[in-house]
Amino acid sequence: MKNYDKLLNDLAPKKFGKRGVLWTSFLIIIIIIGLIAYIDQLIKGQEVTNMRDYALWGIYISNFVFFVATSFVGSVTVAILRLTNNSWRTPLVRIAEIISLAAIVMAGITIMIDMARPDRLLNLFIHARLQSPITWDVIIIPTYIVLSFLLLYFPLLPDLAILKKYFKEKSPTLSKWYGIFSLNWTGSKAQKIIQEKSIKIIALMIIPVGIILQTIDAWLFSTTYRIGWDSTNFAPYFISGAFVAGVGALITVIYIVRRVKKLENYITDFHFDKLGKLLTLACLIYLYFNINEYLIPAFTAKKGEMVHLDTLFTGHYAPLFWFVTIGGLIFPIIALLFKKGRKPLPMFFIGLIVVIASWWKRYVIVTPTLLHPFLPIQGVPESWHHYFPSLHEWLITIATLAMALLIITILVRYLPIIPIQRTADEQELLKNNKNTKS
Amino acid sequence: MKNNNTDSRRKFLDKGLKFGLITAISGIGLTKLASKLSAQTAKNSDDKMELMTTDGTIIQVDSSEVMEMDLPSKEAPLNHDIREGIPNRKFVMVVDLAKCKNALKCQTACNKHHYITGDNAWLKVYKMQESKETAPYWMPTTCQHCDQPACVTVCPVDATFKRRDGLVLIDNTRCIGCRFCMAACPYSTRVFNWGEPNQDEVTLNMDAVNHQHEMSSPEHAGIPSIKGTVDKCDFCPHSIQNGELPHCVTACPNGVFYFGDKYEDTVTNGEETLRFSKLLKDKAGYRIMEGLGTEPSVYYLPPVDRLVNFEDGLEQYNEFQSVEKPE
Amino acid sequence: MKNQINIRHFFLVLLSVFCITTSFAQKKKKDKVRLKAQYVKIMDGEIYFDISAGARVNRKNIDVANIDLTIFNKINGKKVKFGKTTTNMHGKSKFILKSLSKIEADSTNTYNFVISFKGNESFKKASKSISFKDANIEAKLVTKDSINYITATLIDKEKNSPISDVILTTQIQRLFKPLKIGDEFNNTDKNGTISVLIEEGIPGVDGNLAIEVVLIDSDVYGTVKAIVNAPIGKPIVDESTFDQRTMWSPRNKTPLFLLIFPNLLIISVWGLIIYLILNLVKLKKS
Repeated sequence: MKNYDKLLNDLAPKKFGKRGVLWTSFLIIIIIIGLIAYIDQLIKGQEVTNMRDYALWGIYISNFVFFVATSFVGSVTVAILRLTNNSWRTPLVRIAEIISLAAIVMAGITIMIDMARPDRLLNLFIHARLQSPITWDVIIIPTYIVLSFLLLYFPLLPDLAILKKYFKEKSPTLSKWYGIFSLNWTGSKAQKIIQEKSIKIIALMIIPVGIILQTIDAWLFSTTYRIGWDSTNFAPYFISGAFVAGVGALITVIYIVRRVKKLENYITDFHFDKLGKLLTLACLIYLYFNINEYLIPAFTAKKGEMVHLDTLFTGHYAPLFWFVTIGGLIFPIIALLFKKGRKPLPMFFIGLIVVIASWWKRYVIVTPTLLHPFLPIQGVPESWHHYFPSLHEWLITIATLAMALLIITILVRYLPIIPIQRTADEQELLKNNKNTKS
Repeated sequence: MKNNNTDSRRKFLDKGLKFGLITAISGIGLTKLASKLSAQTAKNSDDKMELMTTDGTIIQVDSSEVMEMDLPSKEAPLNHDIREGIPNRKFVMVVDLAKCKNALKCQTACNKHHYITGDNAWLKVYKMQESKETAPYWMPTTCQHCDQPACVTVCPVDATFKRRDGLVLIDNTRCIGCRFCMAACPYSTRVFNWGEPNQDEVTLNMDAVNHQHEMSSPEHAGIPSIKGTVDKCDFCPHSIQNGELPHCVTACPNGVFYFGDKYEDTVTNGEETLRFSKLLKDKAGYRIMEGLGTEPSVYYLPPVDRLVNFEDGLEQYNEFQSVEKPE
Repeated sequence: MKNQINIRHFFLVLLSVFCITTSFAQKKKKDKVRLKAQYVKIMDGEIYFDISAGARVNRKNIDVANIDLTIFNKINGKKVKFGKTTTNMHGKSKFILKSLSKIEADSTNTYNFVISFKGNESFKKASKSISFKDANIEAKLVTKDSINYITATLIDKEKNSPISDVILTTQIQRLFKPLKIGDEFNNTDKNGTISVLIEEGIPGVDGNLAIEVVLIDSDVYGTVKAIVNAPIGKPIVDESTFDQRTMWSPRNKTPLFLLIFPNLLIISVWGLIIYLILNLVKLKKS
């Protein structure tokens, strides 16, 4: 029991220290600034962005794609690792679920920011056409939000019940809330059966739904004629890209949370080693699809394709392209092949680069294609030949990233980020095994 | 000590919850408020009003001197469903590239009659040259009103639609501004109203009344244009209804545009009236980007036996402007 | 004497000053209206004047809209008021004559009319005279050896004699402008007749073609048009995909594959989600 009490003390949510309050206030300020910029955009129209008739989609869309990609981490860690019986995932699953939920919720919000007439949002439901890929997106995103939430919630129930007891004296109101959300969890056999059955179903469902989500996201681009988008490779390319972005985000967030909450005993070097290998696998798969996407069209060198590839390899977008490919893909593969590279601190930096490169990779996917349409760009102002986001776009985009971080922060603050019940169960099992062995 | 901790924790929770609630409620009301605001700022006029005269120039007039007129409409009433179209017709256009010398009268007429105030015209005359050795030529492009329109396929809310008579039109009261249609169109023919179009209201009202339709009819695009929606060439159904050719066709001094009904197998540029099938056969008509499978309704006659030199059009060519702005 | 001269001088000066100042005061100079009128007679149909009023203002041609015009019948040198009309906003007006039998012609069997505009504050007065004789075109469809022809005869109505060596244009009615058929210059022979071959395969709604034989803008007879409805055209077939289920149809014509497969997926996934949520409720109760 002493072990159990220590476990509880280590894993239970703690009040925000000064750092926590500072961090949260910082995020809230950024969000408010973004909100003001958004209201300005609603009043004046999207002319406050630098999008025009040729660069008709910009960082709102590439940011949206980034969020959708990152939300894949829930499917990967929780479901795929579970179904392949990788038990080391236990301390990581809750954070993965939290990141997943935050990312997909922000994806839903971000896409509405790109709509120039958000007051007509209901048209997407009243007049929906099933032939349009956007309608498929409108269906799949709420589905994935609900599934991500259930994936977080079902395993959380026992922990909420534990926390209700834990906080009973220290913080009665908090305890009451934990109690309400724990849905009268008593750990009874009946409840456990329902819970386990449900988790199994969710874990099974979330893989195909997650894959369909990434696929539909890719189809938003590959159902057009545009060079650079009209690729049969796009769906698997996006799925593997989501794998990379998701695991990268997971590593980065885990490292920070581990430091802040002093969870070094629970998330050990072993876990980082495993995560490192997982990220290497993800990057290798993504590299394979990148080669198919960028190298093979250079073989036949069709004119349209070469305009696109030239701008990426040696042209205007070359610095960005090589940063995201070498920095975000090749460098992680090499660094993670060494055991030293899979230690926590190096992993954190690698994860950070992977996340940043993932964000800019989506920018490289969206923007260059729009700036070389089939017919030459003529009859429009010179500035329309280029695109770089405006101040409004940056403020709003950074605010959405801050909001995602805020959701993660708040959930990490109030939820036990390492499943208490499960860790206790696993430790019991280990203890029993040790006892029987000795 | 413990109580203090509890109190401060309670306060924090309280504040957090209140803040969250306020944010949620204000978030819900935000869009409605902002859209109302945006409607009002349009009417926040100074004492002066901008008007467009009948020849297309913009002048400033005191608002007090402007009154709305109630003109009786003398045009034929609409006798077909707007989404289905004029029965027994399939509209096609033939552009004779041998005659085009970039006079741009078509573009000016289109800009004027649709009150285009943005920076991108709906009708653009491209300076084309496929490769160094092949001949350069001027290519006027409108919306191609494709029979397999990519733009219609991807619209999530049915705001753009394909009619029985071949026209692809836009209902800008339904458009949500996602711009997927613009991404899908391979001819780059759609334009977007990124801000307020700032068309003059009185002139628009007069035009709407004269052509007997409410404002925002898909059959008279640009009357009015709406912020945050898409616009494009509509093949002027408002003119066709009155037995008149689209404005670009009548404005062209060189007879470049032929327009007509494919079912009648007849096209005319105002002067010559010809069998459509014969015209295509005799002059080897073709369509742009045929290989994409969009099945456009606009055919082109190759620039052979040119009546004018390509270079003569360079004078009028402005790479960075297609809509004339007032001084 | 001197006083009288002085007074006359004074009045002269006064008068000239007045005239000069008023001519200077007249900032608005009235523009000239150009009236154009064409007499059109459609066989077994309307007889009318096609009137248009235009002016050149500021070196641009504009339509003169909403002006009142009076039409006079000129008989024996006297102008008799016949009717009036107003131009529409495009400066055009169609003035219908009920029938020619009630109108008097002159000794040469010519009908004379004057269309006059008495001027307003912006425009000077103007008038246009029209004179025409009455002519008829009798046209019919003839089929010989399964080839279709249009034969038409142009007759001067008063003299009841054919008019020869006059160009008659044969055309098919189309949406915007009519489609000419036959030779470019088709003169009537000594019997006042022309015969034009109608080629095969001209499309028409339900196979119907409206064929016109027109005497265009003759100095003597004006414009005379005969219309023959001939069911010899190729019937129009609707080729549009409007009624089909396609990817670009409105949502009520979604392709069946898209209706069935995605909806099945949605129902099964959301069915499971609802089951899971119900499990949460069940869990709470147990």
